[in-house]
Amino acid sequence: MTTPLIGVSKSILKIKELISHVANTCLNVLITGETGVGKEVVAQNLYEESIRSSQNFVKINCAALPETLLESELFGYEKGAFTGAHRKRHGKFKTADKGVLFLDEIGDMPMALQSKMLHVLQSGEFSPLGSDQDFKTDAWVIAATNHNLEERIAAKKFREDLFYRLNIIKIDIPPLRNRTEDIPALVEYYSRIYQTEFGMDQVEKPNTEVMEKLCAYTWPGNIRQLQNCIKKQMVLNSWDKIFAELFSENLTLHNSPASDIPAHPPLANGTSPNATLEEGALIAEFVDLSTSSEKLFEDISLKKIKKMASDRVEREVIIFVLKKVGWNRSKAAKILKISYKTLLYKMTEFKIQPPVK
Amino acid sequence: MTDPVRILVVDDNEDILSTFYEFFSSMGYTVKTAVDGFVALKLLRDKANSFDALITDLVMPNISGVGLISIVKKEYPDIKIIAITGYGDKPGALASEAEADMVLFKPIDLFKIEAKVAELLNLESRT
Repeated sequence: MTTPLIGVSKSILKIKELISHVANTCLNVLITGETGVGKEVVAQNLYEESIRSSQNFVKINCAALPETLLESELFGYEKGAFTGAHRKRHGKFKTADKGVLFLDEIGDMPMALQSKMLHVLQSGEFSPLGSDQDFKTDAWVIAATNHNLEERIAAKKFREDLFYRLNIIKIDIPPLRNRTEDIPALVEYYSRIYQTEFGMDQVEKPNTEVMEKLCAYTWPGNIRQLQNCIKKQMVLNSWDKIFAELFSENLTLHNSPASDIPAHPPLANGTSPNATLEEGALIAEFVDLSTSSEKLFEDISLKKIKKMASDRVEREVIIFVLKKVGWNRSKAAKILKISYKTLLYKMTEFKIQPPVK
Repeated sequence: MTDPVRILVVDDNEDILSTFYEFFSSMGYTVKTAVDGFVALKLLRDKANSFDALITDLVMPNISGVGLISIVKKEYPDIKIIAITGYGDKPGALASEAEADMVLFKPIDLFKIEAKVAELLNLESRT
Protein backbone atom coordinates (compact mmCIF):
# COMPACT_ATOMS: atom_id res chain seq x y z
CA MET A 1 0.00 0.00 0.00
CA THR A 2 1.24 3.47 -0.81
CA THR A 3 2.04 5.70 2.14
CA PRO A 4 -0.18 8.75 1.96
CA LEU A 5 1.29 12.22 2.19
CA ILE A 6 0.71 13.18 5.80
CA GLY A 7 0.48 16.80 6.83
CA VAL A 8 -1.60 19.90 7.20
CA SER A 9 1.03 22.51 6.35
CA LYS A 10 0.51 24.82 3.41
CA SER A 11 3.42 23.26 1.56
CA ILE A 12 2.12 19.69 1.92
CA LEU A 13 -1.39 20.71 0.88
CA LYS A 14 0.07 22.44 -2.14
CA ILE A 15 2.10 19.36 -3.06
CA LYS A 16 -1.02 17.20 -2.81
CA GLU A 17 -2.90 19.59 -5.06
CA LEU A 18 -0.03 19.70 -7.53
CA ILE A 19 0.11 15.90 -7.62
CA SER A 20 -3.60 15.65 -8.43
CA HIS A 21 -3.20 18.19 -11.24
CA VAL A 22 -0.19 16.62 -12.91
CA ALA A 23 -0.45 12.87 -12.21
CA ASN A 24 -2.14 12.23 -15.50
CA THR A 25 0.10 14.38 -17.66
CA CYS A 26 2.99 11.90 -17.37
CA LEU A 27 5.43 14.76 -17.84
CA ASN A 28 8.90 14.30 -16.33
CA VAL A 29 9.00 15.22 -12.67
CA LEU A 30 11.90 16.30 -10.50
CA ILE A 31 11.40 15.92 -6.76
CA THR A 32 13.85 17.74 -4.51
CA GLY A 33 14.34 17.90 -0.77
CA GLU A 34 16.66 16.88 2.04
CA THR A 35 17.27 13.27 2.96
CA GLY A 36 14.28 11.71 4.69
CA VAL A 37 11.62 14.27 3.65
CA GLY A 38 9.62 11.71 1.70
CA LYS A 39 10.62 12.09 -1.95
CA GLU A 40 9.78 8.48 -2.71
CA VAL A 41 6.38 8.88 -1.03
CA VAL A 42 5.62 11.77 -3.38
CA ALA A 43 6.73 9.66 -6.37
CA GLN A 44 4.49 6.80 -5.29
CA ASN A 45 1.56 9.14 -4.82
CA LEU A 46 2.05 10.51 -8.33
CA TYR A 47 2.05 6.94 -9.63
CA GLU A 48 -1.00 5.92 -7.59
CA GLU A 49 -3.03 8.86 -8.86
CA SER A 50 -2.03 8.36 -12.47
CA ILE A 51 -3.55 6.16 -15.14
CA ARG A 52 -0.36 4.10 -14.91
CA SER A 53 -1.11 2.78 -11.43
CA SER A 54 -1.90 -0.70 -12.73
CA GLN A 55 1.53 -0.89 -14.39
CA ASN A 56 4.96 -1.24 -12.81
CA PHE A 57 6.57 1.22 -10.42
CA VAL A 58 10.28 0.58 -10.88
CA LYS A 59 12.83 2.18 -8.61
CA ILE A 60 16.55 2.52 -9.01
CA ASN A 61 19.01 4.29 -6.76
CA CYS A 62 21.58 6.07 -8.94
CA ALA A 63 23.99 6.62 -6.03
CA ALA A 64 24.04 3.05 -4.77
CA LEU A 65 25.53 1.29 -7.78
CA PRO A 66 28.84 1.65 -9.59
CA GLU A 67 28.58 3.18 -13.05
CA THR A 68 28.77 0.03 -15.16
CA LEU A 69 26.30 -1.83 -13.00
CA LEU A 70 23.91 1.12 -13.00
CA GLU A 71 24.10 1.21 -16.78
CA SER A 72 23.28 -2.48 -17.19
CA GLU A 73 20.51 -2.18 -14.60
CA LEU A 74 18.94 0.71 -16.51
CA PHE A 75 19.28 -0.52 -20.05
CA GLY A 76 19.71 -4.27 -19.67
CA TYR A 77 22.16 -6.39 -21.66
CA GLU A 78 22.38 -9.10 -24.28
CA LYS A 79 23.86 -12.49 -23.64
CA GLY A 80 27.63 -12.25 -23.98
CA ALA A 81 27.69 -8.43 -23.75
CA PHE A 82 30.45 -8.70 -21.14
CA THR A 83 32.21 -11.35 -19.08
CA GLY A 84 29.58 -12.89 -16.86
CA ALA A 85 26.60 -11.95 -19.03
CA HIS A 86 25.49 -15.55 -19.42
CA ARG A 87 22.00 -14.66 -20.38
CA LYS A 88 20.01 -11.73 -21.65
CA ARG A 89 18.62 -9.43 -18.98
CA HIS A 90 15.97 -6.73 -19.26
CA GLY A 91 16.78 -3.30 -17.90
CA LYS A 92 14.63 -1.04 -15.76
CA PHE A 93 13.60 1.03 -18.78
CA LYS A 94 12.02 -2.07 -20.26
CA THR A 95 10.41 -3.19 -16.97
CA ALA A 96 9.02 0.31 -16.42
CA ASP A 97 7.55 0.53 -19.93
CA LYS A 98 4.05 2.07 -19.66
CA GLY A 99 4.65 2.42 -15.92
CA VAL A 100 6.90 4.60 -13.81
CA LEU A 101 10.67 4.68 -13.57
CA PHE A 102 11.71 6.34 -10.32
CA LEU A 103 15.33 7.49 -10.49
CA ASP A 104 16.36 8.17 -6.92
CA GLU A 105 19.50 10.23 -6.22
CA ILE A 106 19.69 11.37 -9.84
CA GLY A 107 22.16 14.09 -8.78
CA ASP A 108 24.75 11.37 -8.15
CA MET A 109 24.44 9.80 -11.58
CA PRO A 110 27.83 9.65 -13.36
CA MET A 111 28.23 12.14 -16.23
CA ALA A 112 28.64 9.47 -18.92
CA LEU A 113 25.34 7.89 -17.97
CA GLN A 114 23.68 11.29 -17.87
CA SER A 115 24.27 11.63 -21.62
CA LYS A 116 22.70 8.24 -22.24
CA MET A 117 19.78 9.18 -20.01
CA LEU A 118 19.32 12.39 -21.97
CA HIS A 119 19.26 10.42 -25.19
CA VAL A 120 16.50 8.14 -23.90
CA LEU A 121 14.46 11.08 -22.66
CA GLN A 122 14.78 12.85 -26.01
CA SER A 123 14.13 9.93 -28.30
CA GLY A 124 12.21 7.49 -26.10
CA GLU A 125 14.62 4.86 -27.34
CA PHE A 126 17.39 2.90 -25.68
CA SER A 127 19.70 0.13 -26.58
CA PRO A 128 20.76 -2.64 -24.15
CA LEU A 129 24.49 -3.28 -23.65
CA GLY A 130 25.88 -5.43 -26.42
CA SER A 131 22.84 -4.90 -28.61
CA ASP A 132 22.72 -3.02 -31.88
CA GLN A 133 18.96 -2.71 -31.72
CA ASP A 134 17.04 0.25 -30.37
CA PHE A 135 14.00 -0.35 -28.23
CA LYS A 136 11.13 2.04 -27.58
CA THR A 137 10.22 2.84 -24.02
CA ASP A 138 7.24 4.66 -22.65
CA ALA A 139 8.37 4.93 -19.06
CA TRP A 140 7.20 7.92 -17.05
CA VAL A 141 10.39 9.28 -15.53
CA ILE A 142 10.21 10.67 -12.02
CA ALA A 143 13.59 11.68 -10.63
CA ALA A 144 14.57 12.74 -7.13
CA THR A 145 17.62 14.27 -5.52
CA ASN A 146 18.77 15.87 -2.30
CA HIS A 147 21.38 17.87 -4.21
CA ASN A 148 20.91 21.38 -5.46
CA LEU A 149 21.16 20.55 -9.16
CA GLU A 150 21.83 24.15 -10.18
CA GLU A 151 24.96 23.99 -8.01
CA ARG A 152 25.91 20.60 -9.48
CA ILE A 153 25.52 22.13 -12.96
CA ALA A 154 27.80 25.04 -12.01
CA ALA A 155 30.34 22.51 -10.68
CA LYS A 156 30.10 20.60 -14.00
CA LYS A 157 28.78 17.53 -12.18
CA PHE A 158 25.36 17.58 -13.78
CA ARG A 159 24.29 18.19 -17.36
CA GLU A 160 22.25 21.33 -17.80
CA ASP A 161 20.26 19.90 -20.70
CA LEU A 162 19.33 16.84 -18.65
CA PHE A 163 18.26 19.13 -15.83
CA TYR A 164 15.85 21.02 -18.13
CA ARG A 165 14.51 17.72 -19.46
CA LEU A 166 13.72 16.46 -15.96
CA ASN A 167 12.64 19.74 -14.41
CA ILE A 168 9.35 19.95 -16.34
CA ILE A 169 7.38 19.56 -13.14
CA LYS A 170 9.28 20.45 -9.99
CA ILE A 171 8.13 19.34 -6.57
CA ASP A 172 10.20 20.67 -3.72
CA ILE A 173 9.51 19.14 -0.31
CA PRO A 174 10.54 21.45 2.54
CA PRO A 175 12.43 20.00 5.53
CA LEU A 176 10.35 18.97 8.53
CA ARG A 177 11.74 21.80 10.70
CA ASN A 178 10.07 24.29 8.33
CA ARG A 179 6.65 22.68 8.69
CA THR A 180 6.45 21.63 12.33
CA GLU A 181 2.66 21.81 12.17
CA ASP A 182 2.85 18.48 10.32
CA ILE A 183 4.57 16.74 13.24
CA PRO A 184 1.47 15.85 15.35
CA ALA A 185 -0.25 14.24 12.37
CA LEU A 186 2.92 12.34 11.43
CA VAL A 187 3.42 11.11 15.00
CA GLU A 188 -0.16 9.91 15.16
CA TYR A 189 0.00 8.19 11.79
CA TYR A 190 3.25 6.33 12.39
CA SER A 191 2.39 5.46 15.99
CA ARG A 192 -0.70 3.72 14.69
CA ILE A 193 1.23 1.93 11.93
CA TYR A 194 4.02 0.67 14.22
CA GLN A 195 1.61 -0.21 17.00
CA THR A 196 -0.09 -2.63 14.65
CA GLU A 197 3.20 -3.77 13.17
CA PHE A 198 4.76 -4.54 16.55
CA GLY A 199 1.50 -5.92 17.96
CA MET A 200 1.48 -3.48 20.86
CA ASP A 201 -1.69 -2.42 22.58
CA GLN A 202 -0.49 -0.08 25.32
CA VAL A 203 1.89 2.64 24.29
CA GLU A 204 2.32 5.96 26.05
CA LYS A 205 0.62 8.57 23.86
CA PRO A 206 2.61 11.76 23.56
CA ASN A 207 1.14 14.39 25.86
CA THR A 208 1.19 18.10 25.11
CA GLU A 209 4.61 18.58 26.62
CA VAL A 210 6.09 15.72 24.59
CA MET A 211 4.47 17.02 21.44
CA GLU A 212 5.87 20.48 22.07
CA LYS A 213 9.34 19.00 22.42
CA LEU A 214 8.89 16.96 19.25
CA CYS A 215 7.86 20.10 17.42
CA ALA A 216 10.77 22.09 18.83
CA TYR A 217 13.40 19.61 17.65
CA THR A 218 15.12 20.37 14.33
CA TRP A 219 14.91 16.89 12.76
CA PRO A 220 18.03 16.91 10.60
CA GLY A 221 17.03 13.46 9.33
CA ASN A 222 13.48 14.68 8.70
CA ILE A 223 10.54 12.25 8.62
CA ARG A 224 12.78 9.19 8.45
CA GLN A 225 14.38 10.24 11.73
CA LEU A 226 10.98 10.91 13.28
CA GLN A 227 9.86 7.44 12.17
CA ASN A 228 12.89 5.87 13.82
CA CYS A 229 12.14 7.75 17.04
CA ILE A 230 8.56 6.56 17.09
CA LYS A 231 9.78 3.03 16.47
CA LYS A 232 12.24 3.34 19.36
CA GLN A 233 9.45 4.70 21.52
CA MET A 234 7.46 1.54 20.79
CA VAL A 235 10.28 -0.50 22.30
CA LEU A 236 11.48 1.79 25.10
CA ASN A 237 8.09 3.31 25.93
CA SER A 238 9.83 6.36 27.34
CA TRP A 239 9.84 9.66 25.55
CA ASP A 240 12.29 10.91 28.19
CA LYS A 241 14.95 8.49 27.01
CA ILE A 242 14.29 9.39 23.39
CA PHE A 243 14.61 13.09 24.12
CA ALA A 244 17.76 12.56 26.17
CA GLU A 245 19.30 10.95 23.10
CA LEU A 246 17.89 13.44 20.58
CA PHE A 247 18.81 16.55 22.46
CA SER A 248 22.25 15.34 23.51
CA GLU A 249 23.07 14.74 19.86
CA ASN A 250 21.64 18.09 19.09
CA LEU A 251 23.73 19.77 21.76
CA THR A 252 26.97 18.40 20.41
CA LEU A 253 25.86 19.39 16.95
CA HIS A 254 25.25 22.91 18.07
CA ASN A 255 28.58 23.36 19.77
CA SER A 256 27.27 23.57 23.33
CA PRO A 257 29.22 21.91 26.13
CA ALA A 258 29.31 18.29 25.13
CA SER A 259 30.29 17.04 28.54
CA ASP A 260 26.87 16.92 30.23
CA ILE A 261 25.32 13.93 28.54
CA PRO A 262 27.23 11.50 26.35
CA ALA A 263 25.61 11.14 22.94
CA HIS A 264 25.49 7.38 23.35
CA PRO A 265 25.17 6.44 27.01
CA PRO A 266 27.22 3.33 27.75
CA LEU A 267 25.20 0.25 28.51
CA ALA A 268 24.70 -0.52 32.18
CA ASN A 269 26.47 -3.81 31.66
CA GLY A 270 27.64 -5.90 28.78
CA THR A 271 24.71 -8.28 28.95
CA SER A 272 22.01 -5.64 28.82
CA PRO A 273 18.80 -7.00 27.32
CA ASN A 274 18.84 -3.93 25.15
CA ALA A 275 22.15 -4.88 23.54
CA THR A 276 20.66 -5.85 20.20
CA LEU A 277 18.43 -2.82 20.20
CA GLU A 278 21.40 -0.56 20.85
CA GLU A 279 23.33 -2.25 18.05
CA GLY A 280 20.47 -1.72 15.66
CA ALA A 281 20.12 1.83 16.90
CA LEU A 282 23.69 2.63 15.97
CA ILE A 283 23.28 1.25 12.47
CA ALA A 284 19.92 3.02 12.16
CA GLU A 285 21.73 6.31 12.45
CA PHE A 286 23.34 5.66 9.09
CA VAL A 287 20.80 3.64 7.15
CA ASP A 288 17.05 3.36 7.31
CA LEU A 289 16.37 -0.04 8.87
CA SER A 290 12.63 0.33 8.55
CA THR A 291 12.51 -0.45 4.84
CA SER A 292 12.24 -3.80 3.15
CA SER A 293 15.38 -5.86 3.18
CA GLU A 294 15.70 -5.46 -0.59
CA LYS A 295 15.86 -1.69 -0.26
CA LEU A 296 17.97 -1.96 2.86
CA PHE A 297 20.58 -4.05 1.07
CA GLU A 298 20.58 -1.54 -1.73
CA ASP A 299 21.15 1.29 0.75
CA ILE A 300 23.83 -0.38 2.85
CA SER A 301 27.26 0.45 1.54
CA LEU A 302 30.20 -0.09 3.87
CA LYS A 303 32.18 2.61 2.11
CA LYS A 304 29.41 5.18 2.51
CA ILE A 305 28.67 4.26 6.12
CA LYS A 306 32.37 4.32 6.96
CA LYS A 307 32.61 7.81 5.53
CA MET A 308 29.50 8.96 7.40
CA ALA A 309 30.70 7.48 10.68
CA SER A 310 34.24 8.81 10.39
CA ASP A 311 32.92 12.21 9.36
CA ARG A 312 30.78 12.31 12.43
CA VAL A 313 33.62 11.38 14.79
CA GLU A 314 36.02 13.76 13.08
CA ARG A 315 33.53 16.56 13.38
CA GLU A 316 33.01 15.97 17.09
CA VAL A 317 36.73 15.75 17.78
CA ILE A 318 37.41 18.95 15.88
CA ILE A 319 34.68 20.81 17.76
CA PHE A 320 35.93 19.38 21.05
CA VAL A 321 39.50 20.56 20.45
CA LEU A 322 38.41 23.94 19.07
CA LYS A 323 36.41 24.56 22.22
CA LYS A 324 39.33 23.59 24.43
CA VAL A 325 41.57 26.16 22.74
CA GLY A 326 38.93 28.89 22.60
CA TRP A 327 38.46 28.43 18.83
CA ASN A 328 42.08 29.25 18.07
CA ARG A 329 42.41 27.40 14.80
CA SER A 330 46.19 27.23 14.52
CA LYS A 331 46.43 25.83 18.04
CA ALA A 332 43.70 23.33 17.26
CA ALA A 333 45.44 22.24 14.05
CA LYS A 334 48.65 21.58 16.02
CA ILE A 335 46.83 19.49 18.61
CA LEU A 336 44.96 17.55 15.94
CA LYS A 337 48.26 17.07 14.08
CA ILE A 338 46.86 18.27 10.80
CA SER A 339 47.80 21.31 8.74
CA TYR A 340 46.03 24.61 9.30
CA LYS A 341 44.70 24.39 5.76
CA THR A 342 43.27 20.92 6.30
CA LEU A 343 41.54 22.14 9.43
CA LEU A 344 39.94 25.03 7.59
CA TYR A 345 38.89 22.69 4.83
CA LYS A 346 37.36 20.26 7.30
CA MET A 347 35.60 23.05 9.16
CA THR A 348 33.94 24.09 5.91
CA GLU A 349 33.15 20.51 4.94
CA PHE A 350 31.54 19.74 8.29
CA LYS A 351 29.97 23.19 8.57
CA ILE A 352 31.72 23.96 11.85
CA GLN A 353 31.35 27.56 12.89
CA PRO A 354 32.60 29.32 16.00
CA PRO A 355 29.81 30.30 18.38
CA VAL A 356 28.42 33.78 17.71
CA LYS A 357 29.66 36.19 20.32
CA MET B 1 -18.19 44.66 -32.09
CA THR B 2 -16.25 41.47 -31.47
CA ASP B 3 -15.48 40.07 -28.03
CA PRO B 4 -12.16 41.13 -26.57
CA VAL B 5 -9.32 38.66 -27.03
CA ARG B 6 -8.58 36.81 -23.79
CA ILE B 7 -4.97 36.09 -22.97
CA LEU B 8 -3.21 34.40 -20.09
CA VAL B 9 0.26 35.66 -19.18
CA VAL B 10 2.54 33.50 -17.03
CA ASP B 11 5.84 34.62 -15.52
CA ASP B 12 7.42 34.19 -12.09
CA ASN B 13 8.56 37.79 -12.13
CA GLU B 14 5.71 39.94 -10.81
CA ASP B 15 7.10 43.13 -12.34
CA ILE B 16 7.05 41.56 -15.77
CA LEU B 17 3.54 40.30 -15.12
CA SER B 18 2.19 43.72 -14.23
CA THR B 19 3.91 45.30 -17.21
CA PHE B 20 2.27 42.74 -19.50
CA TYR B 21 -1.03 43.22 -17.75
CA GLU B 22 -1.07 46.96 -18.21
CA PHE B 23 0.21 46.89 -21.74
CA PHE B 24 -2.22 44.28 -23.09
CA SER B 25 -5.14 45.72 -21.13
CA SER B 26 -4.46 49.12 -22.66
CA MET B 27 -4.52 47.42 -26.06
CA GLY B 28 -8.04 46.18 -25.42
CA TYR B 29 -7.22 42.59 -24.47
CA THR B 30 -8.76 40.84 -21.47
CA VAL B 31 -5.74 39.72 -19.46
CA LYS B 32 -5.27 37.22 -16.63
CA THR B 33 -1.91 36.55 -15.03
CA ALA B 34 -0.27 33.68 -13.15
CA VAL B 35 3.05 33.46 -11.31
CA ASP B 36 3.83 29.91 -12.36
CA GLY B 37 2.55 27.04 -14.47
CA PHE B 38 0.59 25.57 -11.59
CA VAL B 39 -1.40 28.75 -10.95
CA ALA B 40 -1.93 29.03 -14.71
CA LEU B 41 -3.18 25.45 -14.93
CA LYS B 42 -5.70 26.09 -12.16
CA LEU B 43 -6.98 29.17 -14.04
CA LEU B 44 -7.26 27.13 -17.23
CA ARG B 45 -9.15 24.33 -15.51
CA ASP B 46 -11.58 26.78 -13.94
CA LYS B 47 -14.62 26.54 -16.18
CA ALA B 48 -15.37 30.25 -15.67
CA ASN B 49 -12.30 31.12 -17.74
CA SER B 50 -11.48 30.65 -21.37
CA PHE B 51 -8.49 31.92 -23.26
CA ASP B 52 -7.49 32.55 -26.85
CA ALA B 53 -3.77 32.80 -26.26
CA LEU B 54 -1.12 31.95 -23.70
CA ILE B 55 2.12 33.87 -23.26
CA THR B 56 4.46 32.02 -20.96
CA ASP B 57 7.95 32.22 -19.53
CA LEU B 58 9.80 28.88 -19.50
CA VAL B 59 11.82 28.58 -16.31
CA MET B 60 9.39 28.67 -13.39
CA PRO B 61 8.80 26.72 -10.18
CA ASN B 62 6.17 23.96 -9.74
CA ILE B 63 5.04 23.52 -13.33
CA SER B 64 7.57 24.93 -15.78
CA GLY B 65 6.60 26.72 -18.98
CA VAL B 66 7.55 23.63 -20.94
CA GLY B 67 5.22 21.52 -18.79
CA LEU B 68 2.42 24.04 -19.12
CA ILE B 69 2.79 24.15 -22.90
CA SER B 70 2.59 20.34 -23.17
CA ILE B 71 -0.54 20.26 -21.03
CA VAL B 72 -2.24 23.13 -22.89
CA LYS B 73 -1.44 21.62 -26.30
CA LYS B 74 -3.06 18.37 -25.24
CA GLU B 75 -6.01 19.62 -23.22
CA TYR B 76 -6.72 23.00 -24.85
CA PRO B 77 -5.51 22.64 -28.45
CA ASP B 78 -7.26 25.82 -29.60
CA ILE B 79 -5.21 28.12 -27.41
CA LYS B 80 -2.30 29.72 -29.27
CA ILE B 81 0.97 29.63 -27.38
CA ILE B 82 3.89 32.01 -27.31
CA ALA B 83 6.86 30.95 -25.21
CA ILE B 84 9.31 33.57 -24.07
CA THR B 85 12.71 32.54 -22.85
CA GLY B 86 15.70 34.31 -21.47
CA TYR B 87 17.83 31.28 -20.73
CA GLY B 88 19.47 30.51 -24.06
CA ASP B 89 18.39 27.76 -26.36
CA LYS B 90 18.01 24.72 -24.11
CA PRO B 91 14.57 25.39 -22.67
CA GLY B 92 13.79 27.19 -25.94
CA ALA B 93 14.35 24.00 -27.93
CA LEU B 94 12.23 22.11 -25.42
CA ALA B 95 9.45 24.64 -25.91
CA SER B 96 9.39 24.08 -29.66
CA GLU B 97 9.42 20.36 -29.03
CA ALA B 98 6.42 20.84 -26.76
CA GLU B 99 4.94 22.61 -29.79
CA ALA B 100 4.67 26.18 -28.67
CA ASP B 101 3.36 28.08 -31.70
CA MET B 102 6.13 30.59 -31.34
CA VAL B 103 9.28 30.92 -29.23
CA LEU B 104 10.60 34.43 -28.61
CA PHE B 105 13.85 35.37 -26.89
CA LYS B 106 14.22 38.04 -24.23
CA PRO B 107 14.68 40.93 -24.33
CA ILE B 108 11.81 41.63 -26.65
CA ASP B 109 9.56 44.65 -26.86
CA LEU B 110 5.90 44.40 -26.00
CA PHE B 111 4.68 45.83 -29.31
CA LYS B 112 6.41 42.99 -31.11
CA ILE B 113 4.78 40.42 -28.85
CA GLU B 114 1.39 42.01 -29.41
CA ALA B 115 1.96 41.87 -33.17
CA LYS B 116 2.81 38.16 -32.88
CA VAL B 117 -0.30 37.44 -30.81
CA ALA B 118 -2.43 39.22 -33.42
CA GLU B 119 -0.67 37.29 -36.18
CA LEU B 120 -1.31 33.93 -34.48
CA LEU B 121 -4.96 34.76 -33.92
CA ASN B 122 -5.36 36.20 -37.42
CA LEU B 123 -6.27 39.58 -36.02
CA GLU B 124 -5.19 42.96 -37.10
CA SER B 125 -2.52 44.25 -34.78
CA ARG B 126 -3.86 47.08 -32.64
CA THR B 127 -0.68 49.13 -32.89
